[in-house]
Amino acid sequence: MANVKDYGNAELEEKLSDTSYYTTDSNPQFLEDVKKISRTAANMCFQCGTCTGSCPSAPRSSYRIRLFMRRGVLGLEKEALNDPDLWLCTTCYSCTDRCPRGLAPTDVIMAMRNLAFKVDIVPRNFLKTVQLIYKTGHGVPNNDVNRAARVKLGLPADPPTTHSYPEFIPGIQKIMDFYGMKDKADRILAEESK
Amino acid sequence: MADTKEESRIGVFICHCGTNIAGSLSIEDVKKYAETLDGVVVADDYQYMCSTPGQSKIIDAIKEHNLNGVVVAACSPRLHEPTFRTATEEGGLNKFRFEMANIRDQNSWVHMHDWEGATEKAKDQVLIAVAKCRMLEDLQPKSVPVEHAALVLGAGIGGMQAALDLASAGIKTYLVEKLPTVGGRMSQLDKTFPTLDCSQCILTPKMVDVGRHPNIELRTYTEVEKVEGYIGNFTITLRKKARGVLDPTEAEARGYVGGGCNGCGDCAEVCPVIKPNPFEMGMAPRKAIYIYHAQVMPLLYTIDFDSCVKCGLCVDACGPEKRAIDLESVDTFEEIKVGTCILAIGYDYIPIEEKREWGYKQFDNVITGLEFERLICASGPTTGHLIRPSDGQTPMKVGFVLCAGSRDNTGGVAKPYCSRFCCMYCLKHAHQIMEKIPGAVPYLFYMDIRAFGKMYEEFYYRVQSEGAKFIRGRVANILEDPTTKNLTVYTEDTLLGRPVAMEMDMVVLAAAVQPKADAEKIRQMFGVSKSQDGWLLEAHPKLNPCGTTTAGIYLAGVCQGPKDIPDTVAQAEGAASAASIPIHTGEVQLEPYFAQCNEEICAGCGMCLNQCPYGALALVEKNGRTVMEVTEAKCKGCGTCGGFCPGGAIKMQHFTSPQICAQIDAFLLKGEDY
Ligand SMILES: Cc1cc2nc3c(=O)[nH]c(=O)nc-3n(C[C@H](O)[C@H](O)[C@H](O)COP(=O)(O)OP(=O)(O)OC[C@H]3O[C@@H](n4cnc5c(N)ncnc54)[C@H](O)[C@@H]3O)c2cc1C
Ligand code: SF4
Ligand code: SF4
Ligand code: SF4
Ligand code: SF4
Repeated sequence: MANVKDYGNAELEEKLSDTSYYTTDSNPQFLEDVKKISRTAANMCFQCGTCTGSCPSAPRSSYRIRLFMRRGVLGLEKEALNDPDLWLCTTCYSCTDRCPRGLAPTDVIMAMRNLAFKVDIVPRNFLKTVQLIYKTGHGVPNNDVNRAARVKLGLPADPPTTHSYPEFIPGIQKIMDFYGMKDKADRILAEESK
Repeated sequence: MADTKEESRIGVFICHCGTNIAGSLSIEDVKKYAETLDGVVVADDYQYMCSTPGQSKIIDAIKEHNLNGVVVAACSPRLHEPTFRTATEEGGLNKFRFEMANIRDQNSWVHMHDWEGATEKAKDQVLIAVAKCRMLEDLQPKSVPVEHAALVLGAGIGGMQAALDLASAGIKTYLVEKLPTVGGRMSQLDKTFPTLDCSQCILTPKMVDVGRHPNIELRTYTEVEKVEGYIGNFTITLRKKARGVLDPTEAEARGYVGGGCNGCGDCAEVCPVIKPNPFEMGMAPRKAIYIYHAQVMPLLYTIDFDSCVKCGLCVDACGPEKRAIDLESVDTFEEIKVGTCILAIGYDYIPIEEKREWGYKQFDNVITGLEFERLICASGPTTGHLIRPSDGQTPMKVGFVLCAGSRDNTGGVAKPYCSRFCCMYCLKHAHQIMEKIPGAVPYLFYMDIRAFGKMYEEFYYRVQSEGAKFIRGRVANILEDPTTKNLTVYTEDTLLGRPVAMEMDMVVLAAAVQPKADAEKIRQMFGVSKSQDGWLLEAHPKLNPCGTTTAGIYLAGVCQGPKDIPDTVAQAEGAASAASIPIHTGEVQLEPYFAQCNEEICAGCGMCLNQCPYGALALVEKNGRTVMEVTEAKCKGCGTCGGFCPGGAIKMQHFTSPQICAQIDAFLLKGEDY
């Protein structure tokens, strides 16, 4: 826990705040949860950087998968779950292919997203995606521009998915309802617009 | 079997091992329990039983209580069985009247947090040991004479050093090398860290020495075909491969006085067959009749019969005086007798091209550390000019991929261990680049720099001060620009937290090393184990790093695990010293755990003969009956035959069926009557 000093000036306090890492900042259970959900030995990361070096997201953003691995090892739950970069992984699995320790960093990110979702930390676009999947079976549903492009390429206007077989949508909804995803997305988005 | 009339008088001694044992279980409870056991007349404990006061307790108790058996509950027999046997003997008993219960490695260390459980288990272990001790009998170790000669297999720096030491200690030493020349990997190196002496300059004197030492019998282009025997008396069959070229002695034997190869090389001039030279990592040509390099030892040409077209041009070039070339030569065999053997068969690179992400063999300008050594070496294929294989240009930015395939748990060709010398040779290579190419910058992509040896950290400091750039991040992948053939190296600078994409003119992979392809075959021939990582297994990682679990076989150099030249030489000298002990002693004592045939029961069926992995059993005629006989010196006491014999005619000394059954009964019946 950072040493708190009272300067009576919020801006100054922010500037001078203590950024050291204290053992009390760590939640060991966080690492255990991450390991359990990701099914990878996240504690074995030795910070070599192969994952970030492989990551297509890293050069274009401030997202560093290695940093999330580090936070996992140290149990820095808040820092990991509150960092918006958590949502910048494309799940391409390049890091997982190359990690010399045989870890699955991608699955660690998935685990952390899972834990974040449980405490209502989810970016809006992900919640909208949930709503769209619930409604259409697609995170990015077909639209007129796409339809025209497909026809031009000699393809049917709609792909052979729920767009062509809407009778499967209730099945998808059932799965999502089981996890309470739709309700949660609706609730958070509603609270936000209040 | 123990004399049933002899009443058991056993002393039990329990060791605290500091807190190693006493910290995890109740010594007092175990001692009290031991006192209650049948046959136990005294139980005692001490902080360190292996110390002089601890051993005195045993010696005194034997005398005071007239003991006929000793049980020590302590660490592993591997560590201290010899210690306590000696104490037992000093107390006046036969040393095989001793039994050990391993309540440390197999108990307190594993059940550190279970006081009650560990205490109960220790009681069981003592109970079992006492049960066996009651049935122990006097045994006499067997002495066998030792052949006054040694074998050293592999003539890299490790093997050469071991052979020189043995030979200088007055022992006839066969130095057997598979390749046409001695020298090993070290002869391929340009300079050596951290002092940067020229590798050839410090190596060639040793190469010359092994060639002319009166006690060294050098056999190059020779492999081991068969190994028989045991410590003191190995019979080894060597296969001298068809070389096609006679040395002066061989020529003289054929009556060509003054003939034989003098290394002039006239033959290679005319030979029409061109092949890559493996010594130059394939970067320079050789002929079908060849030497690896100018300093080979012995200076003797060799024909590669796999590529020779037998045109005979070399025979003419060699001429009627020397008559050194024999195109019809064939493999020959030689049987040698030695007392001890040292294995020093070295290492290879892993096939690093199989780590596709780094592009070796896909991209021209990705090379390995060994290729770098040849390219920077004045006697190498480019006379020491480091050039890009793609266009012959001098590289100005050279990337080094450290831990390429080492410290990698993903399986396949990758190795979980550290290859130990690559950090240091990359530093050396970085220095060499800056020394030879003004303005050139080496970039070392690393996870850790392991500069652990004497003057190594100082060398690291020096190379950094000379301008080498260090980027802490393991290389994720490398891509080639198809037109410029430049390479982009991707990683993360983990200290900055920024992804890195750096264009290099050339990249050097510090590839992981692995045991030689035929190490497995050699290992089985000599009956040596391997460790989990595939390298040959030493007898004890700390206390017996040169020996193996097979008596009379020792290890030197990288074949036991990655190590640099100083460590290789040190281990070689250790192995030579260890290997010379039995030879100088003149005889060795074998532990008497032999199989014994009860000739009255033996039906002479002979089915056990093939069971024995060491060929120790034979059928013989005795008193008109065919019975099995054990060659005690060959028997390793493995127990295979004893467990197998359908008639129960084979007794394993010190591990007899009644002794083992008594142990099992004691555990299962907990001292109740049976
Ligand atoms: C690129 C590179 C640079 C290096 N630079 C340095 C340095 O600067 N300083 C340093 O201290 N170390 C350096 N090393 C490490 C050094 O190469 C080793 O420490 C050393 O060569 C080990 O010697 P060795 O005798 O154990 O094995 P080797 O040199 O491999 O010798 C083994 C010998 O056994 C022979 N052999 C193998 N199998 C058989 C068989 N079945 N029968 C008969 N003979 C057999 C082989 O042909 C070979 O001659 C470097 C290594 C590399 C890869
Ligand atoms: S590649 Fe694996 S070991 Fe290396 S930093 Fe990433 S997760 Fe950790
Ligand atoms: S799976 Fe995610 S973290 Fe891993 S390389 Fe791809 S985008 Fe980056
Ligand atoms: S006989 Fe063989 S080695 Fe001799 S010159 Fe012809 S090809 Fe070369
Ligand atoms: S010596 Fe250095 S480069 Fe080689 S495997 Fe070990 S840490 Fe990696």
